[in-house]
Amino acid sequence: MTGPAPIVAAIDGAVADGWRAAVRAAASALVEAGAAGPGYPDACVRVVEENGPYIVLTKGLALVHARPEEGGLAVGVGVTRLASPVEFGHPDNDPVDLLLAFCTPDPDVHVGTLAGLARALSGGLADRLRAAPGREELSRTLKEAVPDA
Amino acid sequence: MALDRRLEILAVCGVGMGSSLMLKMTAEDALRSLGVDARVENTDVSTARGMSPDVVIGQGMHTEEIADLAPVVITISDFLDKDGLEAQLRDRLGEQGWLA
Repeated sequence: MTGPAPIVAAIDGAVADGWRAAVRAAASALVEAGAAGPGYPDACVRVVEENGPYIVLTKGLALVHARPEEGGLAVGVGVTRLASPVEFGHPDNDPVDLLLAFCTPDPDVHVGTLAGLARALSGGLADRLRAAPGREELSRTLKEAVPDA
Repeated sequence: MALDRRLEILAVCGVGMGSSLMLKMTAEDALRSLGVDARVENTDVSTARGMSPDVVIGQGMHTEEIADLAPVVITISDFLDKDGLEAQLRDRLGEQGWLA
């Protein structure tokens, strides 16, 4: 599937007093980048309130997202690195220090981007993001993982 | 293959489009390593209730809700742990006689 390259956003050293603030920060990066509408951060928090902390996919890493109709304007991928980790209440994967956020205007258009992200995560993307020395490198590392959708 | 058709496998999550897609890809990799012919779909828990797959894979918070949906229900905690999922699939599909 081809389309415009996803919008990439990065926040380094975000301060969050709990998982809700962390999720809002991660999703707000997509709003600021113009990829998601203003209601998206709250929708991403609701996903966890309604479905549990399953978005904590692996040790220390959450994939923040909501349904396209909650405000996805373009395909966007963001990375947020927290100043200190937060607990989501996940039985195995807490605490979380790294959040990837994702939005899409359409449930089908995102498959290529997420597939790229999944491959990159299996190939050690989370460690590379944790090791990035600053916001610029965070952003560049994520961009390399999600070329054109 | 002891089953005379393709295995139908469902990866579930809360929204049915982000995390479960990641899980679907992990499952496809694991099944490929095992040499199992399977179709993997991903969906949310509510939609999953109306389906009748052979195998369901998801986090415990979801698989508890749909424990009787399929003959094989596999609970994972790491969506990206291909080796762990492969080991569980080998055991559980083996029990059913679904491995070649």
